[in-house]
Amino acid sequence: MNDLLLLLGSTVVLGSPLVLAAMGGLLSERSGVMNIALEGKMLAAACLTAVVSSSTGNPWAGVAAGVAASVTLSLVHALVTQHFKADHIVSGMGINALAAGGTSLLVKGVFDREGAAAPVFLPVAAYWVTALVAVLYLVWYLTRTRGGIRLMAVGNSPSKSRQMGLDPLRIRIVSLLAAGLLCGLGGCLIASNAGSFTDGMTSGRGFIALAALILGGWRPLPALAGCLAFGMTEALQLQLQGTLLLGVAIPTEAWNALPYLATLVALLFRKGRGGGPASLGVN
Amino acid sequence: MRTRLGWTHGVFIAASLVLIFLSVRATGADFGETAQFFVRGSLGGPAAWTRTLKEFLPLLMLGTAVLVALRAGLFNIGADGQFTVGALGAAVVVLRLGGASGMLLGLAAGLAFGALWALPAGWIRAYRGGHEVISTIMLNNIARLLTLYLVKGPIKDPDQQGQTTATFPTSTSLPEITLPSGTLVTSGLVVGLLVVVGFWIWERRTVAGYELNLVGANPTAASVAGVSAKRVKLGAMLASGAVAGLAGAIFVLGHEHRFYANLSPGYGFDALGVAMLAVSGVPALVPAALAFAVISTGTASIQTLGVPRGLSGVILGLTLLGVAAVAGARKRIAHE
Repeated sequence: MNDLLLLLGSTVVLGSPLVLAAMGGLLSERSGVMNIALEGKMLAAACLTAVVSSSTGNPWAGVAAGVAASVTLSLVHALVTQHFKADHIVSGMGINALAAGGTSLLVKGVFDREGAAAPVFLPVAAYWVTALVAVLYLVWYLTRTRGGIRLMAVGNSPSKSRQMGLDPLRIRIVSLLAAGLLCGLGGCLIASNAGSFTDGMTSGRGFIALAALILGGWRPLPALAGCLAFGMTEALQLQLQGTLLLGVAIPTEAWNALPYLATLVALLFRKGRGGGPASLGVN
Repeated sequence: MRTRLGWTHGVFIAASLVLIFLSVRATGADFGETAQFFVRGSLGGPAAWTRTLKEFLPLLMLGTAVLVALRAGLFNIGADGQFTVGALGAAVVVLRLGGASGMLLGLAAGLAFGALWALPAGWIRAYRGGHEVISTIMLNNIARLLTLYLVKGPIKDPDQQGQTTATFPTSTSLPEITLPSGTLVTSGLVVGLLVVVGFWIWERRTVAGYELNLVGANPTAASVAGVSAKRVKLGAMLASGAVAGLAGAIFVLGHEHRFYANLSPGYGFDALGVAMLAVSGVPALVPAALAFAVISTGTASIQTLGVPRGLSGVILGLTLLGVAAVAGARKRIAHE
């Protein structure tokens, strides 16, 4: 019983960064901007929150810096995809590379030489409560409000929604900024779960969140379920480390590969876009 | 709208250069000295060229692989995974079978494994409509974890501490060539250049090459003309994976002579930049791959000055963003 409670607890804690990133991805992709940059945005936030909270000793300043880093990358993303009409995939990869290189440069080249104090973080509960509120808010927002329906309209056809009098550019920029905010919180939580920043510490969680989003058909509640399921595999892995399952030792790599395999299998069996926005990635 | 490259493009590129300059300065290194080390480490003398050409070959071949898929309108983000699995295939073969036959079979295994790793992505795209970017990201991660598991256990050399296979028998190495300048290259470089030339001629001179470009440019027109977009896309993905797998096989047989965890330092992602720089024509792959190779060896050599390798990621990221922005302007003109 205690084991079960422990498992559920760590599922929530490990799943929350995924939930936050997936909800950010949902907003951006529902507005039509393909977002494979969730990974880079979370990484930048994880780095800045650790660096700033250790140098100021103030967890709030850390969160603010982390979120600001992620939102800044979102602004660049918006500028490049919307103003320059750049390809969404290439620019997403560009942001991921920039974040991976930039955070490594910052930590190894600037802060390691100065010897930083241990970072301080907000309590974890602040994050998972925010994640849950974000999901519930999005359920309501996308189906019950004018703004949400407009957002979906822009994602399905920017040209038609322009003829209806909407401003697709503004809606997409706002969605990207909101995505930056949520990814930023997700990144802060990853750093705070680990207690410090290490190079490449998001280790594919942005892509796992994207996978949960797609498997969930770009809907908040199924995406939440996907994120928690993936969070549970991570929690199970920690809890079952070294024990035998049906007489076989399951290698760590197999646990880690589970979300990726599940997504691949689902893509193999599902026909069509699976309920995604019709103009995803179209300028 | 006849705006081609506006002033905003100039500002964006200038800002990128300033950011690179500031990144170097933030580490406390002197910019002039860093630039000097960068050039000397990547282009100054035979030893530097040996290192640069070692990076050049995988970038050139993976750039070609990405471009093949891109011609059919597909983004093969999975070149990194196909490269890794191709290298694994070659390693498994030559560890069992020595000699020239082992080497040739190893190269063939690289081709086959690379194509195999691209198959799910191609099939999902052609017959299920799922986006190849998502499936290839998944396949990259599965490849990384699978090979990590294998080099930790089943194919690990028990005599070594690290996560690596045994060293391959020398009889399976690709012959090395010493250029007149003293630069050492693997004969795999010839294979790589032949692949590029072959793709260039094939694209321009064969019906299949024409169909490839037709499907990428306008799938509807292609299907009206009786070309099966599904078949062409699947074929393009398989060919792309095969070239990437061959690149992996050449990398281990020509350079590393063993297989180890995290073999690729991200060649497949750099290759996306290489291919984007070469969309105008296949020959542009050569200077594009060389530029990325110089960035890679140059940033490695300035580590002695205390500038971390992360700088190459910053340069790559800004290059991808800049190239995508400029390509966006070109596309806008094409629509008018």
